[in-house]
Amino acid sequence: MSAADLLLWSFLFPLPTLVLSALGLPKRAGALSFLSPLAILVAGVAWLAQGAGSAKVAVPDFVRFLPDGAFRLTVDPLAGVMLLVVGFVSTCVFVYSQGYMAHDERPHRFFAFLDFFVACMCLLVVAGNLMVLLIGWTGVGIASFLLISFWWQKDGGAPLKAGYLALGANAIGDAALLVAVVLVPSGLGELSGLGAIAHEAPERATALAWCLVIAACAKSAQGPLWWWLPSAMAGPTPVSALIHAATMVAAGVYLLVRTAGVIVDAPTVAYTTAWIGVWTALLAGVASLWQPNFKRGLAYSTVSQLGWMFTAVAVGAPFAALFHLVTHAAFKAMLFLSAGTVIAATHHEERIDQVGGLAKKLPFAFGYFVLGTAALIGTPIVTAGSFSKDAILEATLASPWPELGWLLLAGAFLTGAYAGRLLFGVFLGAPGPATEHAHHPGKIFDLALLPLAAGAIALGYLEAGTGALSGLLHDVVAVGEPVHVQPTLLGLGAFAIGLFGVAAGALLARTSTKCLPLPPFAELWQALWGEAQAIPEGVAALHTGRVSRYALIVLLGVAVSIGVAVAPVAGREAPPPVETKRRPYVPTDPRKKKDEERRKKKEQEERARRQQQRKEQQQEMRLDATRGDLKPLKAPAKPAEGSAP
Amino acid sequence: MISLNALLVLSAILFAVGLAGALTRKNAILVLVSIEIMMNAANLNFIAFWRAGMVELTGPLFALFTLVIAGAESAVGLALVIAIYRHLKSVDVGNIQSLSG
Repeated sequence: MSAADLLLWSFLFPLPTLVLSALGLPKRAGALSFLSPLAILVAGVAWLAQGAGSAKVAVPDFVRFLPDGAFRLTVDPLAGVMLLVVGFVSTCVFVYSQGYMAHDERPHRFFAFLDFFVACMCLLVVAGNLMVLLIGWTGVGIASFLLISFWWQKDGGAPLKAGYLALGANAIGDAALLVAVVLVPSGLGELSGLGAIAHEAPERATALAWCLVIAACAKSAQGPLWWWLPSAMAGPTPVSALIHAATMVAAGVYLLVRTAGVIVDAPTVAYTTAWIGVWTALLAGVASLWQPNFKRGLAYSTVSQLGWMFTAVAVGAPFAALFHLVTHAAFKAMLFLSAGTVIAATHHEERIDQVGGLAKKLPFAFGYFVLGTAALIGTPIVTAGSFSKDAILEATLASPWPELGWLLLAGAFLTGAYAGRLLFGVFLGAPGPATEHAHHPGKIFDLALLPLAAGAIALGYLEAGTGALSGLLHDVVAVGEPVHVQPTLLGLGAFAIGLFGVAAGALLARTSTKCLPLPPFAELWQALWGEAQAIPEGVAALHTGRVSRYALIVLLGVAVSIGVAVAPVAGREAPPPVETKRRPYVPTDPRKKKDEERRKKKEQEERARRQQQRKEQQQEMRLDATRGDLKPLKAPAKPAEGSAP
Repeated sequence: MISLNALLVLSAILFAVGLAGALTRKNAILVLVSIEIMMNAANLNFIAFWRAGMVELTGPLFALFTLVIAGAESAVGLALVIAIYRHLKSVDVGNIQSLSG
C-alpha cells in the first residue's frame, strides 16, 4: 500500500483521538491529540518521498438520485500539497492549544471539535467529486460553528451569535454547492475533469461557474459574504489561527484552484470574481485599520489576503493563488498564534489601546510577529510571502485586466499599514494599562510556533529557484512563469510601498486610540462594510418561529418546484406523451370472479375424471372379450350419460 | 360505480380542506387533525388508482402502511402537544415560537 493510498483515508486519522477526547481521555486534555495531524503530516511526507503519486477510489451509485452520486476519493499532487499544509499547521496549533486551553473548563470538548474539523477538512481535500466535497464542505462549516461558539456564554452570548452568523453564511455557500452538484452531468463526475464542461454541456457551464464562485465566496468571506469572518474571532485564538486563517477559509480558494478550468472558461464569471477579489482586498485592508480589537484587525487582514488569491485564480493564475495559500497559511497562523500569546499573557485583553510595549515581556511572540509582518508585506529573499505575492501581482498585471494589478499594488500600502499598526500598537511604543500585569504564559507558547516560523521563511524556496512546487503540480494546475529568487523590480516596488504603509501604520499606532477614526459617513460604511448586521438580521427576521408560516413557505416551494418541472423548457419541444397500455376497466366482483374460477376448475377436473373412467372401462371390456363370456369384474361406478358403452 | 374522476376530486377537496386547516388553525390538536385529513386524501388516491386498473395489491398495501405510520405519527404528535401544554398551559400554535430569530 503506497502512501498515496494511505492519504486517501487521511480523513479517518483523527477519529481515534476524537473518540478518546469525547470519552474525556487522556486526563491531560490534548496530550495525544496532536498525533493525528502529525500522522497526516508524516503520511504526506512519505507520499512526497515516494514520488508524489496519485490514487483513486470510487464507490459507484453511492447516492443514486444524483447525476454523479458515486463516492469518489482522489489523491493527486494538489490534494497532497493541501494535506501537507493542513497537517503542518494543525500539528502546530494542536500543540499550542495544549497551552492555550490548559485552564479551560472543557478542554476535551475543544480537542474533540478540533479533531472533527481536521477530519472534515481532509475529506474536503481528498474529495474526488463535488458530492463528497460537499460533505466535507458542510462538515468544516459545522466544526467552525462549534468552535466559534465554544465559549457561548461569554460576553452575553456574543460567541453564539457569531457562530450563527458563520453558520448562516456557510449555509448560503452550501446551497450554492448543492446546486453545483446537481448541475454536473453524469459523465463529468471527477473533480479534475470538471473543466471539460464547457465542451460537454456548454449550457450549464456558466451556471456551474457561478455556483462554485458563490460557494467559494461564502467559505472564504469574500465580496458580499464577508461579514461572518471578523465576528468569528469570538472563538478561541487557536481556532482563529487554524480555521479562520490557514485552512478552512482557504478551502474556497482550493475549490477555485481545483475548478479553475470552469471559472476561466466563463469570462463574465472570471471578471466578476477578479473584481470581487480586488474589492475585498482593498476594503478589508481599510476596515482593518479602524478595528479597536487587534485580533479582528488580523481577521480583516486574512479577508484581504484571500482577496489576493481570488484575484489570482480569476485572472488565470491558479498556481500563484495556491502558492500564496501555502505561504499565507504558515505566516498568518503564526501571526494569529502570537496574537494569542498576547491575549493569554494579558488575561484576555484584545483591545489594542490597552496593550503596547509588550516586546520585552514576550520576546518570542514579538519576533514571530515581526517575521509575520515582514512576510505579509513581502520582504524579498528572507520571507516566503514575497515570492507568492509577487507571483500574484505579476500574473494580474499580465492579465487582460492590468488595472486590477495596479489596484492590488495600491493594496500593498494598506497591507503594510494594518500590519504596521498592529506590530507597533501591540509590541512597541508606550506600555498600555494591561502591559504591567502581563506575564509570560509558558514555554509551549514559544516552541509551538517555531515550525511555522521556519515555514514562513523556507516555504518560498519550495518554488523560488527550485521550481519544486510547480514541477509537482504542473499536471493538475496551470502553472505560469517560474519564480526566481532575485527580486524583480515589481517585487521591490511592492515591498517599498509596503514599507511606506508600515511607517503610516506606526504613526497611526502612536495616536491615543491606535486606530483610524471611523470616517464621517460611518453609518453608510457600516451598512456596506463595517459591522453590517443588516444581512443577517434581515434573514433572522424571516424566522417568526410560527409553524404555520414555515409550512406555508414549504408549500410555496413545492408549488414553484412543480411549476418549474412541469413547464416545458424554453426552446425545447415538450417530450412526447408517454404511452401507457391501458386495460379497459371491467367492473367485476372479486367474489364472483373467484366462484367462476372455481366452477371452471371443477368442470375441467370432472372432464378428466370421466375420460379416465371411459378408458378403464374399454380396457376391461377388451379383457372380457379375450377371456370369453366373463362378466366385467367391476361395474362402472356411475352410468355415464351420453356416449356410454 | 363511482368513477375515478369523482374519487380524485373528492381527494383533492379533502387535501385542500386539510391544508387550509393546517395552515390557519391555531389549536395544535386541530392542526394534527388537519394533517390526518391530508394524509387520508393521499390514501384515497392510492385506492382510487388501484381500483382503476392495477391488478397487484400495491395501492392497498401503501394505504395500509400509511395508516399504521399515521397512527404512530399522531401518537407522537399528541404526546408533543401534551408536553407543550404542560409547559405553556396552552395548545395555541401561535404561542409556540421560541425558534424565532
